[in-house]
Amino acid sequence: MDLVQTTILIFLPLFLTSIVLYLIRAVKGPTIGDQILAIDSLTYDLAALLVILGLFFREPILIVTAIPLALWIYSLDIYIAKYLEKREMGE
Amino acid sequence: MLKDIIIYLGLALIGLGGLSDLIASIGMHRFKNFYLRLHATTVGTIWGAVFPIIGASLIAFVYDELGSYRYLMGGAGLVTSLIILLLAPAGSHALARAVHRSRIVKVSPCIHDELDPELCGDKI
Repeated sequence: MDLVQTTILIFLPLFLTSIVLYLIRAVKGPTIGDQILAIDSLTYDLAALLVILGLFFREPILIVTAIPLALWIYSLDIYIAKYLEKREMGE
Repeated sequence: MLKDIIIYLGLALIGLGGLSDLIASIGMHRFKNFYLRLHATTVGTIWGAVFPIIGASLIAFVYDELGSYRYLMGGAGLVTSLIILLLAPAGSHALARAVHRSRIVKVSPCIHDELDPELCGDKI
């Protein structure tokens, strides 16, 4: 293990702890807005975690999974916002 | 020399991102209602996702152990950070607007709500 892998191994528990805390808020959020907001933060952190894991395991192809995650969560935001305003799903 | 500087810079950005993620996820539990939790989401997306991906991309450009695909990882990482930088504020703004217009959550603490005066919760 060189410098990069050792330092990333020190920083990994920060990301994992925050993902667990976001997950708790996503399950027990009082309204649907809180749940979607928590899933929003969780997915962006998951994208960052995947890029960092690609650096840790020396697998550059893991970067491909980060872009669809970032695009998917934006479409989820827009769908939920449209559903809350109009009470119908978009075509 | 330059390689060492870039690697230290990238690792510092990754550490800053992890710390900001932890702060944002604690804030997700400390704030009281939906509109206040938007602050925590801002910290968690921009500081906690955009900056670590930029740092990882900077490392990937000069990290020889990744093999011949390291330029793909660096370039795609920069594109991902740009996508998140553009889409995260737009998504959370649309969500906040929809929640306010559908009258799910009361604004609290509130001084005056010009958009919908009935939605004003407990005053300061």
